[in-house]
Amino acid sequence: MERFELRLQDFSLDDDQQAVREGFGDFFTKEVPSSRVRDAEPLGFDADLWQRLVAMGATSMALPEAAGGDDATLVDLVLVAEELGKVVAPVPLVSHVVASRLLARAGGAAELLTAAAGGERIVTLALQPVVGSNRQLVPDAAVSRDVLAWSADGLALHTLAEPAAHVPNQGSTPLAWFDPAAGERTVLASGPEAEALFRAAVAEWKLLTAAALVGLADSALNLGVEFAKSRRTLGVSIGSLQGVAFPLADVVTEIAGARNLTYKAAWYASHEPGARPDLPLAAFVQAAHAATESAWVSAHTQGGLGFTVEADISLFFLRAKGWSVLGGDPGADRRQVAAALLASV
Amino acid sequence: MDFAPVELTPEQQAFQREVRAFLDEIVTEEVHEHERRTGDGFDERVHLALGSRGWLFPTWPVEHGGAGLDDVCARILALELARRRVPYVTSGTTGGVWPAVERYGAPDLVAELRPQVATGRVRFCLGYSDPESGSDIAASHTRAVRDGDEWVINGSKMWTTGAHNCQYTFLITRTDPEAPKHKGLTMILVPLDSPGVEIQAIHTYGGERTNAVYYSDVHVADRYRLGEVNGGWAVLRGPLDEEHGDGRGNGLDDLSIGVGYTREFQRAIDAAARWAKRTSRPDGTLVADDPVFLDRLGRLVVETEAADATPGPMGRNKASLSFIAGIAELVDLVGPEALIAHGGEGAVDGGAIDYAHRFAQGTATYGGTTDVFKNIIAQHVLGLPRLRLPGDKQLVR
Repeated sequence: MERFELRLQDFSLDDDQQAVREGFGDFFTKEVPSSRVRDAEPLGFDADLWQRLVAMGATSMALPEAAGGDDATLVDLVLVAEELGKVVAPVPLVSHVVASRLLARAGGAAELLTAAAGGERIVTLALQPVVGSNRQLVPDAAVSRDVLAWSADGLALHTLAEPAAHVPNQGSTPLAWFDPAAGERTVLASGPEAEALFRAAVAEWKLLTAAALVGLADSALNLGVEFAKSRRTLGVSIGSLQGVAFPLADVVTEIAGARNLTYKAAWYASHEPGARPDLPLAAFVQAAHAATESAWVSAHTQGGLGFTVEADISLFFLRAKGWSVLGGDPGADRRQVAAALLASV
Repeated sequence: MDFAPVELTPEQQAFQREVRAFLDEIVTEEVHEHERRTGDGFDERVHLALGSRGWLFPTWPVEHGGAGLDDVCARILALELARRRVPYVTSGTTGGVWPAVERYGAPDLVAELRPQVATGRVRFCLGYSDPESGSDIAASHTRAVRDGDEWVINGSKMWTTGAHNCQYTFLITRTDPEAPKHKGLTMILVPLDSPGVEIQAIHTYGGERTNAVYYSDVHVADRYRLGEVNGGWAVLRGPLDEEHGDGRGNGLDDLSIGVGYTREFQRAIDAAARWAKRTSRPDGTLVADDPVFLDRLGRLVVETEAADATPGPMGRNKASLSFIAGIAELVDLVGPEALIAHGGEGAVDGGAIDYAHRFAQGTATYGGTTDVFKNIIAQHVLGLPRLRLPGDKQLVR
């Protein structure tokens, strides 16, 4: 790899990006108090919130204009996903926008695409290749009857009469088993092109999930930091003690790197697709790690209180793993990252 | 947000060719051999050659001894220097100290030294840490006493890297032992050829040479004082803040202030990757095909990507701590070959992993320990309260 290439190193957000972040940040903060997250359990889907999010343009913004979208980039989507993660909003936005974009690229039916852009039909993606009749758990499949899946035969849309049964899970996400034999199957693409489309979509899913995990990690950390500022022991606030403060400092360090890595990966995916296919995976690995660390450190900072279901940190702890594990073992991503390096040296 | 390749004008392309040709000529294998042997972080011939082009302070105007480079050309130069691993410690301390000299030094002193630092004939090192106080620089006991137009200095400093190749040390001294800790310090630019200065080598297993410097009745003219008497802390904060960085950058520079550490880590990782592609296990399988190897190596690659993307004081800690943890793992991945030094039979990529494993350890101390930085992050990034300790404001032995 060329380690000394003369490239810009600008991680800053421009005014438009800042506006996207602030607009969605305000929306999620206002709309999603922790009580709303709890009320949506165990399914993890709030239909009214979904409608409001659709009205904000979140489901259509990053679709091509021809498909009713605004051609927003992955950078914009990363900013939206981070804000969504900050409140652990119970909406299937990540799967839906990734599957919608894949549908548009693969030439999906205009009718379905329009319904997806308008949020009336929720679409999702099976993240693992389909092998034979093996079933797999698919994120958000409990609220979607349109599942995109790839097998050696090609990329297919599976349309079911109704969404598959919800499988209650630790992260309260709309998880469901996907049976490749169920529903009506339409092949959209085949051959190497189909596989490339599928791999790119999985990478997008991991990138946007990474961004959501960054937001989740950030809020989890803030709960711990606020607790550490106000809780006192031995006449001082516990946050002044290095044994408490240093793990929190380590966590914010991990989050800062994860956030910027998602930005960088999104920029490359938008502007030089194919140049750094390892970056979304690296961002996912780093964000999953940061979220896991943040949730546990923050919960631990709050002592026994952080272990109770009443404490909001519980929402973040349970989803840190509950969201990241949907993408499978990060070990597979690490192997791909290493393989990309080996190919370049 | 932008990570695009920088489009060079024809002039900038020509400059890039000029830099590459010049550095190819002056940064010889002998330079690297000298660095491996001495650990000086400095090569006088290279330093003076860079100075002759105005490339030690490349953005300074030509009339001040710089090369008047624009930001892009300065970045071209910086990347080529880094690519060739040109020894940088003494040029770094000199460049770090200069802003304080310029701002706080007497005009005649500034006028005298500016052309000399630009050509490279004058270099500065840091006289910060007393033997007993390490990163707590403000706890300095090294004493300076006024004697007419002179100061008489007694005491000692550790970690004055480059002292034996420098003309001046940027010395923080105690001028009022009764005043609050930060208010009794004065900064003096001490000529290192003064009688009473004794420089003793200290060698690290990172391969570097640093120094302890002893000051015994060293007389220094008051014209070498920088800033107010007892105002030394403000003078010191300038370069230190520069060393800690604000992490914003200009869109061209690396985001992380720890990038130099991460580059050494990446160099070792790249060496391990090449090793994996040419090395077979006893059962005949290629290391590069081993999924467990790839998983563990991939984790280290992610760490370097995250480190390069981490801003501010956090970037330094991430670079250093990921390097220390990761290089130990990399040694395990490669096995005993990893620790064969440069020149040894079977050394991996010229001993890159061996060197990185040793070098990494010091990075958690340079410029203030990672623990000092965790305090900074806790207070300034997270807004956590500062613990009040007896030695915060007062000099406590």
